[in-house]
Amino acid sequence: MSAVDNIPHIPEKSPMSFRSVINNAGIGIALLLMILFFSVASEHFLSANNITNILTQITINLILAVGMTFVILIGGIDLSVGSVMAFAAVVAGKAITLPGLGATELIILAVLAGVIAGMVCGILNGVVSAYWSLPSFIITLGMLNIARGAALQISEAQTIYSFPFAFEEFGSMLIYGVPVVFLVALALVVIAWFVLNRTVFGRLIYGIGNNEEAVRLAGHPVFWYKVAAFSICGLTAGIAAIIYMARLNISSPIAGIGFELNAIAAVIIGGTSLSGGRGSVIGTLLGAFIIGVLANGLILIGLSDFVRQMITGLVIVIAVILDHYRAKYSAS
Amino acid sequence: MKLMKFAAAAATSILLSTSMAAAEDKPVVGLIMKSLANEFFQNMLAGAEAHEAERGDYELRAVGMQNETDFESQINAVENFITQGVDAIVVAPADSKAMVRPLKRAMEAGIVVVNFDVALDEGAKEQQGVELAFVGPDNRGGAKMAGDALGAALGEGAKVVIIEGNPGADNATQRRLGFEDAVAEHKLNLLDSRTAHWETEEANQVFSTMLTANPDIQGVMAANDSMAIGVVKALESAGRDDIKVVGFDAIPAVMPMIEDGRMLASVDQFGQQMAANSIDLALEVLAGGPQLEGWVKTPIELVAGE
Repeated sequence: MSAVDNIPHIPEKSPMSFRSVINNAGIGIALLLMILFFSVASEHFLSANNITNILTQITINLILAVGMTFVILIGGIDLSVGSVMAFAAVVAGKAITLPGLGATELIILAVLAGVIAGMVCGILNGVVSAYWSLPSFIITLGMLNIARGAALQISEAQTIYSFPFAFEEFGSMLIYGVPVVFLVALALVVIAWFVLNRTVFGRLIYGIGNNEEAVRLAGHPVFWYKVAAFSICGLTAGIAAIIYMARLNISSPIAGIGFELNAIAAVIIGGTSLSGGRGSVIGTLLGAFIIGVLANGLILIGLSDFVRQMITGLVIVIAVILDHYRAKYSAS
Repeated sequence: MKLMKFAAAAATSILLSTSMAAAEDKPVVGLIMKSLANEFFQNMLAGAEAHEAERGDYELRAVGMQNETDFESQINAVENFITQGVDAIVVAPADSKAMVRPLKRAMEAGIVVVNFDVALDEGAKEQQGVELAFVGPDNRGGAKMAGDALGAALGEGAKVVIIEGNPGADNATQRRLGFEDAVAEHKLNLLDSRTAHWETEEANQVFSTMLTANPDIQGVMAANDSMAIGVVKALESAGRDDIKVVGFDAIPAVMPMIEDGRMLASVDQFGQQMAANSIDLALEVLAGGPQLEGWVKTPIELVAGE
């Protein structure tokens, strides 16, 4: 018996529906206009090097935002991803600098350690907030401090450095000008898209965001789905940590401060509703591009740091206002 | 929760201090630092603890804070130290204005106060009628040393950029001014100056975009080494080995880069000894030595490759 047939009365808002295509098209058009503006305003913007730069620059935010999409879709939020990334980076950094092992073993060990460290934090976030039905806002705020403290404790607040050469090479490798690390992020987007749209699990993630009670009444273990959503978010923070290390060839316990806000911004700009149940990971991809293009383009046209910060904030506010109208339009 | 833990810890240390002071009568020195998340202050704490063990004639109580801007916890720490009746307070202020008033109260309570690392604001001191010497490195002078090394290596008219620390932070401002002094003296051409908030990843992103906008950059001055590492990685990704980079703090992670030439130089301000030196000065005053005056400069040194 297919589990999907058991879900009663969940308003079906498939991310591939006509409306959602229109929604994503709107974000896509905004991105295109931005690209158009910057390519006119700066001769460097569309250069091959700068495109490579932008792809590298959005990679970490995109990876974090993919995991964040799952959590926001169930109506939650994860404020801890920046700290969890630092924690995972420090754990992986300790692993990769262990003495007496070959480069291959060290890299495998570090990747496993980092990903597991991230996932453990995610599982804890999920279990605590779902079991006691507590707002994830507060639980992940707690985790934000726990993970940061743990990162500082383990590293004794020192930057960890000197990683195997092959690891560093992976971080800066290009295929036809496209950074391999960006391809990793893109692969995660594709996997997440498949999971959200083509699996029962994914449909239930939307279902929980729309009407948790209905999913529960249909006999689905809502608790475990919630834990899974937070674990995925922790997992992506772990992957982001590995990418951070490969790119910069260090692990820093103060990495990722404020990254959660950029990841949430990418998800929201991408049209995923903060109240859950509505949105798509393709939107998140576009949202991450909008933030990255904006950060890059505003430097290229020579705007000052402070003006740049104001404009980025403005874009987030506009995106949320647009989301308000989208919600109204969908409801009517 | 945090507050309660803190209160509990403070209460325990008051109990401990009264019993210990009675037993050994060693002077008690309260050390207040900035963020212990910062490698610089972590090393400083380690240096101070080693110093306490080495001298053995005083008792150290160290307090740090959560992050660079959490100056309220520093104010609380001063008040706790006053309550505990310490003999001296050695403090690296998180805010050069906000800390003046609580420190004035400490001085009125007869505690010897030594201000190190970041100088208290002159105007605020005057307003509160406080006279207090400053023990610390010349951040501006240090940044100028790094900038001078870059200027000497590149020559007049060379195109450079600055990667700044947190806007508004006193040491970030001093270091930027020091870099600008070097720019003026060596007649360098400053193309752009941007913040990367002391952070490696952000410096990497910001600098790679600056490099796209100005491919003819010849030199980079980063206000700390974490950001210099991000710049070096951006240069490696762009395949540029013709651009010279200087940093600040001389953290262990950049030493290999200075050795193999990926970085030109960094500046060591001996953070590890800075707290310890300030404690020495405080103990001298306690032992009846003269009051400190003006600016007691601590050593800074340029760290460059062969």
